[in-house]
Amino acid sequence: MKLLQWLLGIVVCAWAGQYVLALLLPYLAMEALYFLGDKRQGHNQLVVAAVPDENSRHVVRPSPDLLYASCIYNLKEGALTIEAPVPARYWSMQFYQMNTDNYAGITNQRAERDRVGSIASVTLISADQSPENYEGDVIQSPTSRGVVLLRASAMGDRSQQQAALDASICRPADP
Amino acid sequence: MLKNLSKLTAAAIITLVLSAVLLARTIGAGLNGMNLQNGDWVTSTATGTKDANILLKAGVALGGLLASAQEDSMYYRLSAINGEPLRLNCRYRIEGRDYDANWWSVTAYGWDNYLIPNSQGRYSFNNENLMRKVDGSWVITVAATEQPGNWLPIGPAGAPAWRKSTSHDFDLLLRLYTPGETYLNTPRSAPLPRVTREDCQ
Repeated sequence: MKLLQWLLGIVVCAWAGQYVLALLLPYLAMEALYFLGDKRQGHNQLVVAAVPDENSRHVVRPSPDLLYASCIYNLKEGALTIEAPVPARYWSMQFYQMNTDNYAGITNQRAERDRVGSIASVTLISADQSPENYEGDVIQSPTSRGVVLLRASAMGDRSQQQAALDASICRPADP
Repeated sequence: MLKNLSKLTAAAIITLVLSAVLLARTIGAGLNGMNLQNGDWVTSTATGTKDANILLKAGVALGGLLASAQEDSMYYRLSAINGEPLRLNCRYRIEGRDYDANWWSVTAYGWDNYLIPNSQGRYSFNNENLMRKVDGSWVITVAATEQPGNWLPIGPAGAPAWRKSTSHDFDLLLRLYTPGETYLNTPRSAPLPRVTREDCQ
């Protein structure tokens, strides 16, 4: 009888526990991504990745049709400036907070087609900084740490998009 | 006292392991909030957003980290046909036309969520590199052995087999970047490629 009570308790706790784990999982995955990425490439700087293939195992489901560059950021050290030439083919700059949410993004698609040929310049600030203190495109990160991911088309002749990513930067903003 | 503490520790460990197994099964069974069904394809309009429920977020953390919100891209995943999980020993046919998006692609991923090792270095087809029929339609054959035309090779995933916790051996992911209104507003009925199983060995 006592064993049955224990087993029942374990099953009920495990059933509820899966939802607690589900709640924690996004944070754990992002912490792992941040920790390993920081170790590999450092933070507050942009790193261009090789075209994804079967050996690309840092982030799940990479697209072989996209070029990627990423900047793992920590805004405790101050605001960041991200500058990126915008190519004609598909390009986007997406911002992720530490619970996996894609909380902001800019692109060269839809109403933002006029960005093509320009240099996108974004100031990334933390939640406790005021956007009014900065000019141009300002994005406020809900968490002090996160990831900026640049994607550009790798379809066909990718030279323009590759050059755009290679020329992109992520650095501490000017005071 | 010490005996009770040992019992509690053992129970806590078993509970934690069981919770992880249950969560893996829940997500693996497609109950992760990616619940918009369009034929055998599934998607979610909340991927990458703050509106995603905890199971969808957990699913994204495991199998789609850094996914974009739907205005930028939509992801349709297919891991089974009529309930039959995709197998490496079967040959599949994907038929389609063009879709309302800036660009689209079909990629095969191993059960481990990474690109499948293959000697061709071929992991996907996109709207530009497909061989098409005169009318613009196309066919991709997904198989482990060489096929004529658009052959998307599959094979064992890169991760060790003992880690496999899914019923499918691989899955297909349709990416639609800058999807049109049809996909944004009616993802359940928007046109998608048709996937059929041809034969199995």
